Amino acid sequence: MRSEQPHDQDVDLLKAIAARNEAALGQLYDRYRLILFGVLVRILNNREEAEDVLQEVFLQVWRRAADFDENRGRPFTWLVTLARSRGIDRLRALASRERVATMAGATEASEEVSDAATDAIRSEERGVVNSALAQLPEEQKRPLMLAYFDGLTQSEIALQLGAPLGTVKTRMRTGMMKLRELLSARGQYFH
Amino acid sequence: MAHQEYKEMLAVLALSALDAVDERALSQHLSECAECRRELADWESTAAALALSAPPAEPSPQVRDQIMSAVRSDAQKQSTQSRVVEFPQSRRERWTAFGNVGAIAAAVLFLMLIIWILVLWQQNRALRRESDMLARQMQSIQEETARANELVSILSSPGARFRSLSGTGPGVGATAQLAYDGSGRALLMANALPPAPRGKQYQLWFIVGNNPPIPGQTFSPDEMGKGELRDEVPERALDSAVFAITLEPAGGSTAPTSAIYLRSGL
Repeated sequence: MRSEQPHDQDVDLLKAIAARNEAALGQLYDRYRLILFGVLVRILNNREEAEDVLQEVFLQVWRRAADFDENRGRPFTWLVTLARSRGIDRLRALASRERVATMAGATEASEEVSDAATDAIRSEERGVVNSALAQLPEEQKRPLMLAYFDGLTQSEIALQLGAPLGTVKTRMRTGMMKLRELLSARGQYFH
Repeated sequence: MAHQEYKEMLAVLALSALDAVDERALSQHLSECAECRRELADWESTAAALALSAPPAEPSPQVRDQIMSAVRSDAQKQSTQSRVVEFPQSRRERWTAFGNVGAIAAAVLFLMLIIWILVLWQQNRALRRESDMLARQMQSIQEETARANELVSILSSPGARFRSLSGTGPGVGATAQLAYDGSGRALLMANALPPAPRGKQYQLWFIVGNNPPIPGQTFSPDEMGKGELRDEVPERALDSAVFAITLEPAGGSTAPTSAIYLRSGL
């Protein structure tokens, strides 16, 4: 089971970064590069753009680490939210460019991942999330993924799925509640 | 809107998937409700877990180097200038032995200059991107403000009316609002319309009793299905009319040729 140590370690790193410690930023990058780059590749489906955004994210971490408040959430949530938000911004900026909606790029990227000890702790969490998502009905899971990785709003999701807006709202809320319940059942992983 | 209704929107806000109107209303409520702010943090944690469903991926090693290089130049900017040109005395003396102090110092300075220019260029690129994004956001806010002002102007005029249009047939899921005043000046705002095929536009119609529909102006929604239209409501349609929207050949038709996508009640 996961101890509090990684969380505390991340908080310490963010405090050190806020105090302008360059080495701490390097350590945080080493701990989070795989997951954040994975999210960005999944959103943008383009390694070059994802690398560019990843740089922006860590430069933002360097400049804004002092804004992190450990009483408001975990470093993991703060970093992932920051990266996802930057990724979606870039996706919208590139909206005119045709995007090939296929998982091929992401699969290819995942095969390149070396055995990174620093990220190993996440593999168990990854299994918990994927198992929870597998338990959601497709009609609830799909809108959540469209919102999270494609940055679509409820109206846009309704349009894309050809479902009434009210139905989409209900499915998304129910899906999130069920996801929270399934993750909470795994104890301290996500709360 | 009641507190409970806002609470039910928090999970979707954590996914940043609320439509703009809902998001604005909820932001206002959040500024006043500590309970909802706490619950939002909890939902954000759940939403962040979705990141773990993306397969991990390894960025190229240059990314780390570029980040650290940019960070160092950021730190350098905050230090004194003397540190930038500081050379160890012993190294300078060693080079002096070769009799090429001037040339080598110039070469080193030139190299530093090139690196510095590259770092600045990279920062400039990032800033330009941010600046473009802010400009786009500003333009969007200005357009929304102009639209809101126009709406207020219409609704505060004598004989102002406000009608809602609901999606029907191929337009199920779409919505629109039509505001007009006693002089007939009208503003229509539509959402979630299906994209108009090439060579087609949406057209507004005024239906009074059993008479043939009176054609209005045409418009094309954006890629999000949002569109707006300014028109004049005919005098005989001011007091009692059904408003409808159909898909017509670009430029409009004199009589409807497609199914109704949106329509109001009487």
